[in-house]
Amino acid sequence: MSTTLTPQQTVLPPKNVTKPRGGMKKKTAGDWAILAVAILLGLLIAVPFFLILINSFKSPTDYNQSGPLSLPTELYVDGIVNFWERVNFPEKLWNSFFISSVVAVLAVGISMLNAFALGIGRVKGRTWIVLVVLLANMLPQEVLLYPLYFMFKSVGLYDNQWAVIIIFVVIQSAFGTYLLASVYGTFPKEILEAAAIDGANRWTILWRVVFPISRPTLSVLLIFFFIWTWNEFLIPLTFLVSNAAQTVPVSIAVLQGDRMMDVTTTSASALLGLLPTLIFFLIFQRTLTRGITAGAVK
Amino acid sequence: MRIKKKYLGGVAALGMSALLLSGCSSSGSESDSNTLKLWHFESETSAMGIAWDEAIKIFEEETGATVEFEAKSFEQIRSTASQVLNSNEAPDLLEYNKGNATAGLLASQGLLAPLDDAVEEFGWDDKLAPSLQTTARYDEDGIMGSGSWYGVPNYGEFVEVYYNKDMFAANGLEVPTTVAELETVMQSFVDKGITPLAEAAAEYPLGQLWYQLALTQADRSWIDDYQLYTGDIDWQGPEISYATETLADWTESGYISKDSTGLKAEDAGTAFINGTYPIFFSGSWWHNRFTTEASGFEWGTFLFPEAEFSPGSAGNMWAVPENATNKELAYEFIDITMRPEIQALIGNNGGIPVAADTADITDPKSQELIGNFNTLTEQDGIAFYPDWPTATFYDELNAALQELVNGSKSATEVQTQLGEDYQSGVDDIVG
Repeated sequence: MSTTLTPQQTVLPPKNVTKPRGGMKKKTAGDWAILAVAILLGLLIAVPFFLILINSFKSPTDYNQSGPLSLPTELYVDGIVNFWERVNFPEKLWNSFFISSVVAVLAVGISMLNAFALGIGRVKGRTWIVLVVLLANMLPQEVLLYPLYFMFKSVGLYDNQWAVIIIFVVIQSAFGTYLLASVYGTFPKEILEAAAIDGANRWTILWRVVFPISRPTLSVLLIFFFIWTWNEFLIPLTFLVSNAAQTVPVSIAVLQGDRMMDVTTTSASALLGLLPTLIFFLIFQRTLTRGITAGAVK
Repeated sequence: MRIKKKYLGGVAALGMSALLLSGCSSSGSESDSNTLKLWHFESETSAMGIAWDEAIKIFEEETGATVEFEAKSFEQIRSTASQVLNSNEAPDLLEYNKGNATAGLLASQGLLAPLDDAVEEFGWDDKLAPSLQTTARYDEDGIMGSGSWYGVPNYGEFVEVYYNKDMFAANGLEVPTTVAELETVMQSFVDKGITPLAEAAAEYPLGQLWYQLALTQADRSWIDDYQLYTGDIDWQGPEISYATETLADWTESGYISKDSTGLKAEDAGTAFINGTYPIFFSGSWWHNRFTTEASGFEWGTFLFPEAEFSPGSAGNMWAVPENATNKELAYEFIDITMRPEIQALIGNNGGIPVAADTADITDPKSQELIGNFNTLTEQDGIAFYPDWPTATFYDELNAALQELVNGSKSATEVQTQLGEDYQSGVDDIVG
């Protein structure tokens, strides 16, 4: 490990000289240690991703000869192309995108309304209400499966994307309510009182005061909800019977047979399934970091 | 701040437009009387995929009905079947997993339609060997072997020995015809520093070898006792002691590597493909893959020496849900897949047809495979799989054999352990 780190160590210091940051003049041994640990941790987390990446572009013959760890000898894209065509990937992409974005928007909206009542409205017994709401998150999904199945079948929403949307709006907004309620619990009273004196009613306070100030937190929630819903497997698998309604993670499962597995095509499908969330994260990561640090009220 | 606002608005707008665009996208696939809704989970390039594609064409030509086909994943059918079949979304015909825990359970819940009348009308029972019918029939408790027909198997599978012809030739070895000869062959490999058997104790391969060894000492009534609970199994008896002790001996002699405790079937298979091991005892499901991927050497197959019985069974089967709208069309489709020309297609593409005329099979590698299978069915030698009797025995068997291979338990201890696991599982089922 240390051999791979040395080049970076020699490169970094000059940068620091030209661009001093945060008043730190010289990095101590402790800083380097922390940096080394961070890089190591990053590498560990990245290993599965690299495995997916190299195996996606490997032909089955190549894989059999050299195993999963070596680099591909030639660029082989048939795995990706096969998977793309077999499951009609653009359709699945759209389904996932549709479900995840609708869930993210609705769940953030509901979380905000709930949290406004619980955190700022300070209704009685709010701790218990939050606890009951959180049950949706705490129960394993396997437990919810059968009750949900019978409920949605009896209202005619079985095999319908709206079943999945409704379920995830509830589950995600449960967490959102919990988080936002505690954020709103610390909301400065002065601002609310000032707004009330100016003649704002509750709706105006929510829409004109609370919403803009908590926007960084809301956008973080939106991104999390989107990615979490995107990666869900069990409930979409159960509720989306028709192939035309299925999501990306469910379509990846098509490749697993009874006894056989096709490692290279499976990797290719994993890569295709992972890319959209990665791209989504890269686009919004500025929002994400700012939201986490902003959080509180200025 | 401005950028952030724009992005956020963008996402919200996209989400909302998605909402409006798809409006009410309820996928109401209404089933009229002339549509066959068909599900299966075979990939389109596999033997069954190719053959059934052809069957769909013939079916549409002959009946004038349309087939509404959806390719499903094995996992999806396995984990959601009981819910789907209980709803209006049930297909008219689906490929379903055979076994007590799957087809048997659904049959006992009344979710699958009994096929007795159709079997009689079309004569499917004449085309299927008796041991292949076992997995198609379930009694009212969902236990296979007797009772009504709930499925029709279209292909078979069995376990045989794959060997690397080049490595055998390089060491001057012949295909063994007795277990003693097999041991001699393996010993000569060990003498050359080669571990002969590709094994994987973390998954099914070692368990199947263990079962095969027991089968060399067993008769049909022992198999019925073991698989269909018709009698008690003596876990210290000659069949099982022979199997466990032989495995212990083979590990001791270096025929099986101790490293195999951590290996999976996929590892053993790829190690055979890249020529690390000369012998691999595993299922016919590898055949197609070896044909396309094991290009570096010549390989062949033979049935386990001196064995009258081998692990194997009918494959997954056609099942008709009780909620199906067009059962008659489903029966006609099943009948088409049992025709010689469709069965021959399965055979010529690396699968094992259950009712093929061997004369129709042209590919030499497939001839060998199907020849082995036919030998086995003709001597009533299909003995199912070791993990079938109880829901948890697969993991219990693997765990026990891992301990046997790494030497932490003796053969007798392993047998006692397996006997307890087996009995408690069977008691749960039989009651």
